[in-house]
Amino acid sequence: MSTATTAATATAPRRPRLSPAARRVLLVAAAMAAVAPFAAAHWGSGMWPGALTVHLDGPLGRVNDWIIDNRDSHWLFLYFFGHISNAVVGAVRAVYVVLLALGWAGVTAGASLLAWRLAGVRAAVTALASFAVCGLLGMWVPTMRTLALMVVAVAVSVAVGALLGLAAGLSDRTFRALRPVLDTMQALPAFAYLLPVVLVFGIGVAPAVLATVVYAAPPMARLTALGLRGTDKGVLEAVTSLGTTPRQRLLTARLPLARRELLLGVNQSIMMALSMAVIASVIGADGLGDRVYQALSTVDVGAALAAGVPIVLLAITLDRTTSGLGQEGHNRTRTRATAEWATAAAATAAAAWAAHGKTWPHGLTVHIESATNRAKDWLVDHLSHGIPGIGGTADWAAHYTGWVLDPLRTALQSTPWWAAPFVVAALAWAIGTWRTALTSAVSLALIGVLGRWEPAMDTLSQVLAAVAVTLVLGIAIAVAAARSRRVERVLRPVLDVFQTMPQFVYLIPVVALFGVGRAPAAAAAVVYALPAVVRIVSQGLRQADPAALESARSLGATGGQQLRQVQFPLARAELLLAVNQAVVLVLSVVIIGGLVGGGALGYEVVFGLAQGDLATGLTAGTAIACLGLMLDRVTQPTKAPAHKEDA
Amino acid sequence: MTNAGSSTTRTQARTPAQPPVFSVRNLWKVFGPKAGRVPADEKLAALSPEELRERTGCTVAVRDVSFDVRPGECFVVMGLSGSGKSTLVRCLTRLIEPTSGTIAIDGEDVCGMDKGALRSLRRHRAAMVFQHFGLLPHRSVLDNVAYGLEIQGVARAERRAKAAEMVEKVGLAGLEGRRPGQLSGGQQQRVGLARALAADPEVLLFDEPFSALDPLIRREMQDEVVRLNRDEGRTMVFITHDLGEALRVGDRIALMRAGRVVQCGTPEEIVGSPADDYVRDFVRDVPREQVLTVRRAMRPVGGLHETETGAALAPATTVADAIEAVARTGTPARVVDQGRCLGIVDFQGLLNVVAGLDGTQQEPGPEPGPEPGPETRLEKAAA
Repeated sequence: MSTATTAATATAPRRPRLSPAARRVLLVAAAMAAVAPFAAAHWGSGMWPGALTVHLDGPLGRVNDWIIDNRDSHWLFLYFFGHISNAVVGAVRAVYVVLLALGWAGVTAGASLLAWRLAGVRAAVTALASFAVCGLLGMWVPTMRTLALMVVAVAVSVAVGALLGLAAGLSDRTFRALRPVLDTMQALPAFAYLLPVVLVFGIGVAPAVLATVVYAAPPMARLTALGLRGTDKGVLEAVTSLGTTPRQRLLTARLPLARRELLLGVNQSIMMALSMAVIASVIGADGLGDRVYQALSTVDVGAALAAGVPIVLLAITLDRTTSGLGQEGHNRTRTRATAEWATAAAATAAAAWAAHGKTWPHGLTVHIESATNRAKDWLVDHLSHGIPGIGGTADWAAHYTGWVLDPLRTALQSTPWWAAPFVVAALAWAIGTWRTALTSAVSLALIGVLGRWEPAMDTLSQVLAAVAVTLVLGIAIAVAAARSRRVERVLRPVLDVFQTMPQFVYLIPVVALFGVGRAPAAAAAVVYALPAVVRIVSQGLRQADPAALESARSLGATGGQQLRQVQFPLARAELLLAVNQAVVLVLSVVIIGGLVGGGALGYEVVFGLAQGDLATGLTAGTAIACLGLMLDRVTQPTKAPAHKEDA
Repeated sequence: MTNAGSSTTRTQARTPAQPPVFSVRNLWKVFGPKAGRVPADEKLAALSPEELRERTGCTVAVRDVSFDVRPGECFVVMGLSGSGKSTLVRCLTRLIEPTSGTIAIDGEDVCGMDKGALRSLRRHRAAMVFQHFGLLPHRSVLDNVAYGLEIQGVARAERRAKAAEMVEKVGLAGLEGRRPGQLSGGQQQRVGLARALAADPEVLLFDEPFSALDPLIRREMQDEVVRLNRDEGRTMVFITHDLGEALRVGDRIALMRAGRVVQCGTPEEIVGSPADDYVRDFVRDVPREQVLTVRRAMRPVGGLHETETGAALAPATTVADAIEAVARTGTPARVVDQGRCLGIVDFQGLLNVVAGLDGTQQEPGPEPGPEPGPETRLEKAAA
């Protein structure tokens, strides 16, 4: 704060030349100066004062008890939630039965043929190989369980998302109401969605599916709405001028023209659903996620890997199959397409019949668990300590925890509680609007009111440190990729794969390397957030106006000068977006890190679920949501680039 | 404005039996909050655009416009960007809802139509061609052309046959299966034209249809429009910002500025007798001899001998052609209409027109008479 005051005195005489950002920061600083003495005198300057805390444990516990007592008797559960729950469980079971009836041969053949029809031969080969490996690893049954859950969740998400998107696409008012909700939902970590559904539905498959739907429907809704609203105005006018009814306009122009967005929405919904279906193992979804979860809780890296590999393969297959949808034209004639579909269906049926609907044969499995564990032990023995010069992974983890995380946590926790919201507001207002500033400050204060200040500051310290690492690494890699075509060519497929993987999977390798604690959680977060940052920043750097670059070169600017003085300033919007994405993605993994000893808010959620202490879990979940909202809004730049810089 | 009334009376005198296709009276379109109060309030209506925006936050796109579109003519609305011409043409079928005033099509009130009647108007009576084509990218050329019929509920086989005929007519035969994205700009606009023609509308509305095209293609398309107008007698309202285009295709031109029609008349009237300095400025670079006719160049018959000698020219002959005739014979030429000698054109008169010295002499403009037939005028303009 002292810097702000000195800046104020230094720049006071030249007030008219102050940038708007500096003026806003000064304004917030002034507000804080007015409030601080009073707040400090009354409640001290340590962590959030107990006097300003609302204890929700009691009421929430009573709600929880009431729900448990009435779950089998109250009409709300019997006739509403009960039916939903039964329908979901029934649907998942039906899909599972069908998958079992198709047998390993039928499913593999069917998936490959579907991929072939939708996305071509390469996707088909990917699908074939992926399912074969799932079987080989002895993970056929869990894979089928996850797939069944996914099919139901995706179907519901796409349907719900498309309906919401349709409503928002056709009505301005719905769009205005829905948009901030969808934006916010997309910024919240997956863990925040678990508790509310558990509260109502308990633990099991139904809440897992519903949590997945809540998590996966927003992108579909969002893209549908954007697609419908983005219809070329000229086309719409021309179509109107021919005398179409609104319904004809929707069916013959707006929906077909939104095809790309709709299919992208389906793709994103599927990827989000997979991510959540795996995480939902924490609340009772069985399948691959559950295997990973069980294995991680006993630090059995081999078992975790055996279940993790199918997840990754499933993710790649699903992404390859569905991401190509938007690009494919209508080159084939209708009759030929029908014939191909018929062939595919017949081949699937034939394969299913030939294999007599069996699960993967036992003789054909390879057990990698013990081999993996041996390799991991070797890693631990040889890499964790005492490599001359560079130390080892355990040393790095210890140093990161001791030299970075601990001091940062101490600093955050010893920041006066009344100062934190003001600092956050100043940061948010400097690049955003007063709305984002207010939202972020209030969100942070709410964490204090909920009494989760200390763990939230712990989580925040992990997030900030991991974001810093992510940005340094990400920008360095992005610069390399933007400057060299070769680096970019090598990097692109890697980024593609990394971006499709569910968050959960990243925990497996980091546990193998760094053991348990806050450092592996940070490592997983960095790895998870890195691809998005690299992609956004390198895109921004490459999109820099070639004419500006050329003129800089013609003036004799060096490569570094071009980068600093032309490319970075021109890519300002992308850099800010990269920061925002890094924060959101890192937070989501840091929270999941609670499963591998990350502690703080994530652990409280896991603890709440494990102990059936929903009051603790729910307050922690709300605090996570608040933290997510706060971090997202602080890093959200103003939408309109109208007054980007006053020259 | 002033000329709109007089030309109306003149046409009605010429073709008393045919009522106008479109009849627009005191049309206003105001964008902004509580737009309706602007035309209603005389004080507000009198304000300049800047003052009005400052005081009410409203922008006037079309300001008290009246005109008639007569059957079979190509009525051009011309103006620079922002003059309100595109808004005006959209008001005709209420793609943009007018703020006040009346629009009638064949005497039927357009503003009072309910949704169904309006839709039927758009489907069957007035079809529009757009600057940016407005084609559906996911449909083939044939299906784009058939689209208008499809939404009318015409059976598949019938509408495809009709569409194929239209595709043929605009010269796209063989490209039926292509998608708009695979066509050039000129071809896309031909698809737009075929789509508009498919429903066989009474009026074609063109909104700067050729502005996005290359000059050569533009010329071709203009000839196409002229041909449609001449051969099929299709009524057209044509919006453009290009004076050359307006003179080439238009039977009558309404020149707009800041939402107002500043002059409405034949190309000859616009070029020959600009209503004010703005119009004069606008038409300054037009080659006058190619637009103006010998009517403006002739002087009264001096003596009997003059009615006997020299080449005979029709009153609709352009000055450029008269110059050629006079230069070739070396003597003044006669302007003859139905065997009657109307006047004499000599070097002096022709040069006066080319030099722009005729306007002051002949104010207030040429005496009313038959307009130049489209064919003569267009041939000359194209020359």
